[in-house]
Amino acid sequence: MPQSNRSRERLEALLATAVDGIVIIDKAGLVQVYSPACERLFGYTSNEVVGRNVKMLMPSPYHERHDDYLGHYRDTGEKRIIGIGREVVGRRKDGSTFPMYLSVGDGSFEGEATFVGIIHDISDRHRAEQRVAELQSELLHVTRLSAMGQMASALAHELNQPLTANMNYIKAALRLSEGEHDPVLVRELLTKAAAQTTRAGDIIRRLRDFIEKGQSVHVAENLNEVVEEALDLALVGAADANVKVLRDLAHGLPTVSIDKIQIQQVVHNLVRNAIEAMQGCRVAQLTISTRMQDRGAVIVSVEDTGAGLAPDVFEKLFQPFVTTKDTGMGIGLSVCRSIIEAHRGRIWAEADAMTGGTKFMFQLPVREGAVNGFV
Amino acid sequence: MGLSEKKILIVDDDEAVRDSLRALLMSAGFSVCDFGSARAVLDAGAIEGGCLIADIRMPDMDGLELQEELNRRGSEWPVIVVTGHGDVPLAVRAMKAGAVDFIEKPYDDDVLLEAVRRAVVSRPRKLEVTDTDKDSKARLAALTARERDVLGHVIAGRPNKLIAFELGISPRTVEIHRAHLMEKMCVKSLPELVRLALVAGIEPAPATREQTN
Repeated sequence: MPQSNRSRERLEALLATAVDGIVIIDKAGLVQVYSPACERLFGYTSNEVVGRNVKMLMPSPYHERHDDYLGHYRDTGEKRIIGIGREVVGRRKDGSTFPMYLSVGDGSFEGEATFVGIIHDISDRHRAEQRVAELQSELLHVTRLSAMGQMASALAHELNQPLTANMNYIKAALRLSEGEHDPVLVRELLTKAAAQTTRAGDIIRRLRDFIEKGQSVHVAENLNEVVEEALDLALVGAADANVKVLRDLAHGLPTVSIDKIQIQQVVHNLVRNAIEAMQGCRVAQLTISTRMQDRGAVIVSVEDTGAGLAPDVFEKLFQPFVTTKDTGMGIGLSVCRSIIEAHRGRIWAEADAMTGGTKFMFQLPVREGAVNGFV
Repeated sequence: MGLSEKKILIVDDDEAVRDSLRALLMSAGFSVCDFGSARAVLDAGAIEGGCLIADIRMPDMDGLELQEELNRRGSEWPVIVVTGHGDVPLAVRAMKAGAVDFIEKPYDDDVLLEAVRRAVVSRPRKLEVTDTDKDSKARLAALTARERDVLGHVIAGRPNKLIAFELGISPRTVEIHRAHLMEKMCVKSLPELVRLALVAGIEPAPATREQTN
């Protein structure tokens, strides 16, 4: 057997068995060799690729620039990827992309300058990294929520003092003013009561500052994903509440520039409220929806089939310390409002005439930069 | 002896609460003596006090410790304990240690003044069987087994959700039991309920399913 045939067979055996993809191109970028592993990676058969420009395996912008890269190396000899290797993105026949580790060597093959690329698919590693990132973000979220819970408890205790003092002063003033009294003393008591109201207000302001200035990071996010994650978390432990959950999430929503954790806190709060509102109800259905509103805003709504709210409650629903729950503090919704307003959005509630339940909605602006004024 | 002749003692570390409570009591005709710490009360020595209103949460020495120390010194003052949000277990301990009443902040002025009057007039040293408590056992007998279970957890200071978890029923059901038992025990407030339950010999239910308290 001639020597050249032996080495060709060896080369073919190597190409056929290599787990990583191997591509050999000439100095113009035309594919000379395309190994079987590449067929699996890219979805193209060898016939479809050999003889064509390798840039077909790359997504934009590398697709457009690859010829220039080759020219640059030819003209200057400057090595940017050759001999080093790096993580790049490959483009499959169906147009999808995948992360890959590409190492490139240069040499000559049958007298011509050639480049050999070895392609290692790192999608799995990426997926694992992504999952870790997701779990970290969930953990952060839970931590934040529990910090909020602890803060609410501390706050409840702290607010008790000015509220108690306020009430005492006012009741004392009322008692005194019933009989013969010294107007100066009554006035003094009322002034002190007012000071205690200011003190309570300062506590609330500190809470708002904590939420608004606490390392708020606004990033372009997919609203549906943000909502779904928060929903899943809020539904943990709600299985025994027999709540039926409907998701009506609009397709093709533009991204919103938000602090994901904060918005998830709002969704979490609304969902938990909805579930609580339906405790003991015969029909318990929670509908969460996202949709586009005109004028560059998206709307998220959380709807329950609970007993509904009294009309007079609606007006003051988002004020601190207004609650319809036996053990509620009336802080959750006022915090929600702070968050949404800090995002230049709006939050409100409506009664649902059909079901008798309540629908909470919030609106967020879509335009990039719409929240830039907020630090 | 008239109500106004004996001083009402107040101890609270929050100046505004203390000052406002003094104003309220004075507007109702009481004379008042107030202290900023438990230590200051003990330092004041023997005062002819009508009753002592003590905040349960104070730095250094809290209301409960003050009460124990006063007991040790053989004080005659009836003690009313004032608690904040979620302090029911502490309040129950205080009542077992001899406090005559506890009041949750923020409170209604009528509730507070009524408690003060009761303490000053009847001077109940501790949980004694008074006229209103005589039929507490009879009222207790009217409770169903489930309502009795719920009562035990309520006076242990557990919120409805936790009681529901402990008993394996829904929070809504707990709410209903709770409303029924309040009605059957003829009480309108949690302090009244705790007082009556302790008089009737009901013990706070220990946690069975919680990991920590």
